[in-house]
Amino acid sequence: MDKLLEILNDINPDVDYETEDRLIDGKVYDSFSIITLISEISDAFDIELGPEHLIPENFNSAAAMWRMIQGILDEE
Amino acid sequence: MNILTVSFLLFLLGLLVLYFLVPKRFQWWVLLAFSLGFYALGGLLNLPWILLTALSTWAAARFMQRSAREEKDFLAARKGELSKEERSARKARGKRTRRRAMVLCLVLNVGILCAFKYVHFLLAQANAVAGLFGGEIRDSIHWIVPLGISFYTFQTVGYLCDVYWGKAEAEQNPLRLLLFTSFFPQITQGPISAWNQLSGELFAPHSLDADGFLLGAQRMLWGFFKKMVVANLLAGYVQDVFANYSVYTGLSVFLGALCYSAQIYADFSGYMDIMCGLCQILGIRLTENFERPYFSKSIAEYWRRWHISLGVWFKNYVYYPIAMAKWNQRLGKTAKRRLGKAFGSYLPATVALVVTWLATGLWHGASWGYIAWGGVNGLFIIFSMWMEGPYDRWKKRLKIREEAWLWRAFQVGRTFLLVTFIKVLPEVGSLKDGLGLWKQIFTNHSLPHSLGELLPFVGTYRELGAVLLGIGLMLLVSLLQRKGSVRGLMRRRLPFLVRIGIFVLLFFLILYFGVPASGNLGGFMYAEF
Repeated sequence: MDKLLEILNDINPDVDYETEDRLIDGKVYDSFSIITLISEISDAFDIELGPEHLIPENFNSAAAMWRMIQGILDEE
Repeated sequence: MNILTVSFLLFLLGLLVLYFLVPKRFQWWVLLAFSLGFYALGGLLNLPWILLTALSTWAAARFMQRSAREEKDFLAARKGELSKEERSARKARGKRTRRRAMVLCLVLNVGILCAFKYVHFLLAQANAVAGLFGGEIRDSIHWIVPLGISFYTFQTVGYLCDVYWGKAEAEQNPLRLLLFTSFFPQITQGPISAWNQLSGELFAPHSLDADGFLLGAQRMLWGFFKKMVVANLLAGYVQDVFANYSVYTGLSVFLGALCYSAQIYADFSGYMDIMCGLCQILGIRLTENFERPYFSKSIAEYWRRWHISLGVWFKNYVYYPIAMAKWNQRLGKTAKRRLGKAFGSYLPATVALVVTWLATGLWHGASWGYIAWGGVNGLFIIFSMWMEGPYDRWKKRLKIREEAWLWRAFQVGRTFLLVTFIKVLPEVGSLKDGLGLWKQIFTNHSLPHSLGELLPFVGTYRELGAVLLGIGLMLLVSLLQRKGSVRGLMRRRLPFLVRIGIFVLLFFLILYFGVPASGNLGGFMYAEF
């Protein structure tokens, strides 16, 4: 989780990732930030993310992203 | 069928009576029958194409879902028996099969769209090349482009991709998918809806609700006013300016360009108001396509608020897949290593934006003017993205506060002017004419000596008064919408008789100004796309 928080803080340090749960629905992250985020997550966790993972529920909060990453790692 | 006719109102009356009389489980059948009827009235030869698209999409989606289920069952039944590599190989095989089905269906349907829409443009380009060598390719093709093909093809492509990605369930009943494809309120100008949103609305039971009926009818009337009074009267002015821009003063041409911005908004959002109002009467929530777009502070924001469903479609099905594609991500990583972190981060999004905006231009029309239009929009968005850091630093240095009203007003005004200049580019005629109109605005500084010389395109001042009243009302509504629904606000603040009076006045303005102006522009502007 620390690795993920580091990535998120690098992209947008002005967000409280402990409490924020509307990163996509609240338009905190735009389409460019999402692409940067996906690229960084794929690199850091060595996983492959595709358009199928792009649903707000997967990216609305740090916890949701962490659950998605864990799910992909478990499947692999 | 022209929706600005009494025949259409009778068509709606028949629909409403049947829709609310039949048992609720048959309501979607009524919608399907009326949608196909509406479509067939536009030309029986249109029907085979939409049927082919709906049925091929239904079959491909069903095939992909069955393949995914079989794979899931296979892996579940052999849990613990298969090695990690064997599981991965089975998944990869299944994905390949599903991808083949999707690509086949996409090639078929996007191929039909391209054939109808771009054949003349491609032949003209081939002819230009052949001309260099003394040859000639004769364009003797006389196909009639099926009604709404750009919209229904995109909608089915979205559904197919969503099923492929596992974001939507494949529909079992082909007739239900046919209704999703052909639903008449959105067939000619959108919105381009997602299956997960629209299917829930189309197939749910709906009761006649007095509130919904009244609010829907009010919105329809407002839409008819915007289209028939504002857009159609402005159409006469705009056609005149576009035809005579080279002889009018720069200032007159500039005013003509502003008229075009007002016209296209009144036309397109007027249509959406009519159809969203109709759907509200039916109890169906249609995706909204506008969110006060001319109050945007940047081009990127404008495109999130104008023709919203098209922007969302391009984002989901073109921008993200290209930005996330392995080759593009690899390109970004290589650029990061060689040219720095910032450059590498921006590159995949930039590549995706270039493709997205050229495709958006081509979607709007098969001409170099539209390709340039898409390119200019894309350039502004890409440039803003790359310059975000320096902009923030300059703003800090100049002590500009983001929330200061003067700064926001400047941003809104700047964006509106940029949007206006970009909009007119493909609309004057050829790209050369669009650039000629720009040149006239910037280089002809003659000052008009009278109001008639300033507004040579205006017929009567009575009509101009109606246009200005309409634009003023649209502006007022947009300002009030910042705080919520205007119809809701009217209900809370205005007595019943005053509200009725306002809508009666709109009705008479439509009869007085709108009906005679309906000859200025036959149909709706976006139906051409």
